[in-house]
Amino acid sequence: MAKIKYRDAIKAAIAEEMRKDKDIFIIGEDIAKGYEGCFGVTTDLVKEFGTERIIDTPISEASIIGAAMGASMLGIKTIAEIMFEDFITVGFDGIVNQAAKLKTMSGGQYNLNMVVRTPGGAGGLGVQHSQCLESVFMHFPGLYIAIPSNAYDAKGLLKKAINYGNPVIFFEHQRLYNIESEIPEEEYYIDFGKANIIKEGSDLTMVAFSYMIKVSQEAIEVLEKKHNISIELIDPRTLVPLDYGTITDSVKKTNKLVIVEEGVLRAGVGSEIASEINEKCFDYLDYPVRRIASKNYLVPLNPKMSKSIVPNKERIIKEVEELFFSK
Amino acid sequence: MSTDNIKMLEIYRKLLLARLFEERVYKLVLEGLVIGSVHLSTGEEAASVGTIAALRKEDYILPTHRGHVQHLTKGADPSRLLAELAGKETGYCKGISGSIHIFDKENNNLGSNGIVGGQFPIAVGAGMAIKYKKSDSVVACFFGDGSSNQGWFYELLNLASLWDLPIAFICINNLYGMGTPYTKTSVAKVHEKAMPFKIKTEVVDGNDVYKVYESMKGLLKYMKAKSKPVLLECLTYRWMGHSCHDQRPYRSTDEINKWKAKDPVKIAEDQLFKKGILKKSTDIIKDELNAVLDNAEKFARESAFSEFSDDMQL
Repeated sequence: MAKIKYRDAIKAAIAEEMRKDKDIFIIGEDIAKGYEGCFGVTTDLVKEFGTERIIDTPISEASIIGAAMGASMLGIKTIAEIMFEDFITVGFDGIVNQAAKLKTMSGGQYNLNMVVRTPGGAGGLGVQHSQCLESVFMHFPGLYIAIPSNAYDAKGLLKKAINYGNPVIFFEHQRLYNIESEIPEEEYYIDFGKANIIKEGSDLTMVAFSYMIKVSQEAIEVLEKKHNISIELIDPRTLVPLDYGTITDSVKKTNKLVIVEEGVLRAGVGSEIASEINEKCFDYLDYPVRRIASKNYLVPLNPKMSKSIVPNKERIIKEVEELFFSK
Repeated sequence: MSTDNIKMLEIYRKLLLARLFEERVYKLVLEGLVIGSVHLSTGEEAASVGTIAALRKEDYILPTHRGHVQHLTKGADPSRLLAELAGKETGYCKGISGSIHIFDKENNNLGSNGIVGGQFPIAVGAGMAIKYKKSDSVVACFFGDGSSNQGWFYELLNLASLWDLPIAFICINNLYGMGTPYTKTSVAKVHEKAMPFKIKTEVVDGNDVYKVYESMKGLLKYMKAKSKPVLLECLTYRWMGHSCHDQRPYRSTDEINKWKAKDPVKIAEDQLFKKGILKKSTDIIKDELNAVLDNAEKFARESAFSEFSDDMQL
């Protein structure tokens, strides 16, 4: 076991797969020479794999995504890096009209090994460099979504994603890149659709993902001590497919559900999970499912405002207390 | 018969099949067997037939939404194609996709697109993969005059030239983007748009299938020699509306008749007669192709619609 940063786990996943299969390449802006990755994920990869396989592109996001798809149709496994999640919308058509639909629309003739990696989240870099758009992409049948909250998951999920046979959007997070976790020496893959119960508990189920796992853990520590309760924390790890089995089992035990996400509340991931749990577990719920998400607003530069918008430890504690412990 | 003559006859057969296929489709649209959004190439078949006739099986095509002729010429089976147009499970895409989304992997057909210009970003990757694998295939990226106004077009021109991708851009300029004349949408001619990107371009009479074929052959030779992309603009005209339900109020009868006088099938036939490749009438070939289409129609008619079940959800 070694402690490895989230960014280095992603890099290790890419390198391991590229060593095994010469028909894999990465394409993106400033990933090879010079910058070697805006967030340093691809640093040094070009030394091992050369510019034929670590491919710098012009600033042309639609073409980066289209390139990942087109090359995959000809049998290459492709990894596209979109520098910030906000920029993914420039290539929206390539994802939702093309890649997501290809397998079904071609009657199963073509399938894609294609991953679009992209970091989101409020990193203090401004409105168009801060969004969490995963709920948008959940909407499109044919797309698969991984959203790791730690280095161990990032490595195992990305290795799986590269060989998944379907287009995967792989959501990273700006604030997670430097966070370390234990990673075994031996190779491993993590299946999609298998949630991770990060912490068992009996009084309340909390579902979170990406950076919000860390924030939720901090809130849980306070809540458990203060109210002498135990909270179960579940990380779905992939949003499509989403492991509803693990969540419903937990809700049947705790009878309460809170979903914490960094994207905006309206039509968010939490809205989707809440609806599903309402339909599946209505008789088990003591309270309405609570969604804790960013306010329906932009992510501003102003840190004071930002604190009121993006979920943080204090807000999670307050909302959980309001809902369950105010009586 | 010299090889050239055999090739000329083979191209003519493909051209005639294209014409008869599109006419059959129109009949079946009116009857209701063919459903969905259907865009016909009647009158502009020579551009697709002539260019694809110069390709090999190992070359790729990215057809347009007006792509029936492109699929057929690349080798698609008329029966499965027609079945797809009818939404039947025996179709190329199991009847899920219809006229504007035909994929035929067996013939290296990367599929037509319902998003005008949606093929451009995909062409980048197809070109990259060919180059990466050091294969000598090319990708023929078809597009209409209208889609040359999409931003993706310029990204592709830039990347194809910057990276020397083996992409042949083939514009089928039929003068209209839906009901809007090209001249009202752009100050530059289509091929002129490729010039700042230092791509070799050529303009050809898109109604003469043999001229198109020769131009394409020449450009492919250039691509192989120089490892550079090329662009061929085929000037032509669609006799029918944008889609089958278009009454075409935006065009005069005079204009349509003027173009009908330049019928690509007639132009090809005249050359075959002149060269003595065809002696009398073309009726025998026509009967043969009609029999193929009768079979295709029967196949489409007798095929079933597939069912949806909840476990198919993605």
